Amino acid sequence: MTRNAFTETLYDAYGQRFAIDEVYFEHRTDHQHLMIFHNAKFGRVMALDGVIQTTERDEFFYHEMMAHVPLFAHGNARRVLIIGGGDGGLLREVLKHRSVTHVTQVEIDASVVEMAKTWLPGHSKGAFDDPRFNLVIDDGAAFVANCQEQFDVIMIDSTDPIGPGEVLFTQQFYGHCDRCLAEGGVMVNQNGVPFMQLDEVRKTSQAFRSLFADWHFYGVAVPTYIGGLMTLGWASQTPALRQQSIEVLTRRFEDAAIETRYYTPAVHGGAFALPRFVEEAIGL
Amino acid sequence: MNEALGVATPVLLEPAGPDWKALVAQYGSPLLVLDCDRVRMQYRKLTQALPGVRLHYAIKALPNETMVATLAEEGAAFDIATSGEIAMLEKLFIDAADTIHTHPIKRDQDIKDALRYGCTTFVADNIDELDKLVPYRHRVAVLIRASFPNPAARVDLSRKFGCAIGELPALLAAADARGLHVKGLSFHVGSQVDGSHRHVRAIEACLPFLRERRPGALARMTVLDIGGGFPANYDGSVEDIDAFCAPIREALQAVPEHVEVIAEPGRYLAAPAMTCLTTVVGRAKRGDRMWYYLDDGVYGSFSGQIFDHTHYPLIPLDAEGEPQASVLAGPTCDSVDVIAEDFPVGEMAIGALIVAPMMGAYTAASASEFNSLPKTRVIALAPPASMDEADNVLRLA
Repeated sequence: MTRNAFTETLYDAYGQRFAIDEVYFEHRTDHQHLMIFHNAKFGRVMALDGVIQTTERDEFFYHEMMAHVPLFAHGNARRVLIIGGGDGGLLREVLKHRSVTHVTQVEIDASVVEMAKTWLPGHSKGAFDDPRFNLVIDDGAAFVANCQEQFDVIMIDSTDPIGPGEVLFTQQFYGHCDRCLAEGGVMVNQNGVPFMQLDEVRKTSQAFRSLFADWHFYGVAVPTYIGGLMTLGWASQTPALRQQSIEVLTRRFEDAAIETRYYTPAVHGGAFALPRFVEEAIGL
Repeated sequence: MNEALGVATPVLLEPAGPDWKALVAQYGSPLLVLDCDRVRMQYRKLTQALPGVRLHYAIKALPNETMVATLAEEGAAFDIATSGEIAMLEKLFIDAADTIHTHPIKRDQDIKDALRYGCTTFVADNIDELDKLVPYRHRVAVLIRASFPNPAARVDLSRKFGCAIGELPALLAAADARGLHVKGLSFHVGSQVDGSHRHVRAIEACLPFLRERRPGALARMTVLDIGGGFPANYDGSVEDIDAFCAPIREALQAVPEHVEVIAEPGRYLAAPAMTCLTTVVGRAKRGDRMWYYLDDGVYGSFSGQIFDHTHYPLIPLDAEGEPQASVLAGPTCDSVDVIAEDFPVGEMAIGALIVAPMMGAYTAASASEFNSLPKTRVIALAPPASMDEADNVLRLA
């Protein structure tokens, strides 16, 4: 069967369609159905269970904001834990920080990493070979439940809360993450597009409220996560992390000499300003 | 129920049909033979009888991969009721956009499994079910199932499911209030119904709702699912499908142009496409009657006699002499395992073959493994090319 188009099945009433110029890879695992194809506008596109996960051309929006906002806010993060993120894009951005000495990444499915190395090499750009990197194949929720280590930054780069990613959206999971956060640490997570899925930020805010001294969300508008602004969750026991001045962020950004295409210290500061309907949903 | 049992109706076997004995010699007995060309023919006939109506095969009738692949190749869409059916469609790379989930009662996990697969249209018939869909309201669309009770159907599907038409306005308002997108209406007048007048009445009852614009609705309705019920011709008494559908076609003329009409045939597509071959494995004279014991019975492929209230044509290939009222019994130890009580048949020896056509729908689907007897093997004639590699399909020379 030849397919010349991929229509996302995330919403019944609305969706995005990609011309398929070439299918690179299609695979079904016990957990997931994965497909990577080429699209003239977005380059290599990865879809999981009918939903766009990442594309070559716009992945930097999300990965830069998930990595650099917490890392520059922290200023001296050494140990980082990534849950999910099997494509390696987030890892690539994290490893740009010279302060980072160790990254543990927990991915539920080894084949996702192998597939990404082969078919999405631009995401990891060799990051999987970095000596600071440690890959664990495990369920993210099970890993943090048993984890005795601590991390300065925890990043939850998950799929949607339907399917295997569901456990990564529970209060219990966030509680375990909190236990694994070092003093002065921060956790960030993926919370969907609130205009389309307002319940996600609502639920996460309720869980964060009972666990963390400081929590909020920040925005990034990823073209292929359709529906406008996407929110990333922010949770920490150290309120000052979220209040870093643009001057401090700018100094850290310049000292790090990291090249970015989306992230700037000004974007960082502004990203925490949320639309009113999101503020209302999270009870602010 | 004795009066209906064991009616041996002459059934036209294709003059150039398969050599049943050779199939049993090669693949063993009992055996179910699925003829994919007959599946294609049934699909095309119903498509022609209902032009413009998208057919969603009700997988439950015969949840067989070759059957599904054959219909997919013909352009059919699919009606899903369970996560197990989803797993089969995923395995066959069926596009989720071609599916709707029609079980009116779902667990949260069922909804999640369907969404993960990419099926975003669901059926609901009461407020609790609407509430289950609320967490996913931004992703899903809902068909509200109305009920039109039909005691004359062989299987009355409006007793267990469906919202009475009088309660429909309140249910629609409840869906609107919950922010759910009601995409349309569905109904099931029953399976193997006695005529299409019930479809017609149900369509007519739906029309005002399809025409109205409810204040507070996210959109006007754009789908009418007329369900199934299209009868299979088990005994030669059923009218031709084109004649059966003529009143439906006429009733559909009144459906507003913006409404897409879909149907969920199961039995009509599956029933004539599969034939059961079963062998006499024992016999005894009890009183004045011959009892013949077969290697398939009501706990197996003939389970439709119990669950689907259907009796199948039985054609003994190896009977000799004057027909005598005899008993055909299944292979299990249970006395209920009798296929026919007063079956007129000449003398059959052990090893004699009985051919039972019209055994595609609700037969293998509801077979059990009682007595640790395995379910009857299914082989396919003329399977689609895409099934060449499937290990459950045998490509016959």
